[in-house]
Amino acid sequence: MRGSCSSISQLLERYFDREAGDGERALVESHLPDCPDCREKLMLLEGLRETIKAPVDEAFKEETFPWVWEKIERKIRTERRPSWRESVRSWLDLSPLLRKKVWVPAVAAILVLFFITAQIFLKKIPFHPGASVVEYVESETHNVMVYDLEKAKATVIWLFEEPEEETFSS
Amino acid sequence: MNDREAELIFRCQQGDHEAFKEIFNQYHQKVYRIAYGVLRQREDALDVVQEVFIKLFRSIKNFKGKSAFYTYLYRLAMNTAIDHSRKAKRAVFLSLDEEGGYQPSDRDEKKPDHIVAQREMEGKVRWAIDQLPQDQKATLIYREIEELSYQEIAGAMECSVGTVMSRLHYGRKKLQGLLKDVAKGGAIK
Repeated sequence: MRGSCSSISQLLERYFDREAGDGERALVESHLPDCPDCREKLMLLEGLRETIKAPVDEAFKEETFPWVWEKIERKIRTERRPSWRESVRSWLDLSPLLRKKVWVPAVAAILVLFFITAQIFLKKIPFHPGASVVEYVESETHNVMVYDLEKAKATVIWLFEEPEEETFSS
Repeated sequence: MNDREAELIFRCQQGDHEAFKEIFNQYHQKVYRIAYGVLRQREDALDVVQEVFIKLFRSIKNFKGKSAFYTYLYRLAMNTAIDHSRKAKRAVFLSLDEEGGYQPSDRDEKKPDHIVAQREMEGKVRWAIDQLPQDQKATLIYREIEELSYQEIAGAMECSVGTVMSRLHYGRKKLQGLLKDVAKGGAIK
């Protein structure tokens, strides 16, 4: 008897499924005649396939399909454009990753990243609350307007040389 | 995908019903076999065939040709059949015994013996297949009924060939255990 049962049993399913290479097939075929255990395993595999497949073949032989097409055709002729909900649903039906809800942690990670980067980004943008007039001084030669930012980091003093300028600016 | 099929798919994407009929003629038998493999009932399988092709008509414009068309369609058929099976299970189709095993229905009492026996057998096979995790169930049906190669199954299920072999092995082992007493009827010797 060639090959041990443990090494042959690893090949047996591939042999049964016609997926074994030439060398593997020859090894299994030389082992089987002398090994009732492996022959039994092979028969179990055949029996299982027969149990699953035979009724399908039987039902299939008796089936006629033209009326099925007629029903489908009637349906698709009256088909309106699918709503966005139906489109999303059909997309979900086809996407095994989404069916397995792998997207939940991915979406959560994206949201966390978004909040972190948004805060950094917002900090970098200078934000000036509206400047407000704190003082307006009139004199015979010049009028002066003093602006101060709300968080008083800078003060702007605006000197009007001509009265016309003042009118124009406002 | 050959040129003829690519052209048919393109025409379907433009809404051509004749092209869609050709796609139906080419694939409806395979879709039926997958559906029957999961559901083990003619009426349910035919409902699934209709549902699959209507879904295909709506979604074919999203098919970009990155994978083979048949893997796209097989995936749609398998997912639809499994969803249908889940809904049917919710509608109480099978009655279970105290230990959760399959119990034949009373509605077959007046039917001829061989039909009753066949129905019981199908009921038991369906019950056993329903006990498998979804991935093992799909892998077994692709292999045992559609006789797809490991490589083709891996393509349809977007996994490796090693994963296909492992799912087949564990699925078969579990089914053999669940269908042990069917052996008395001669199916699994």
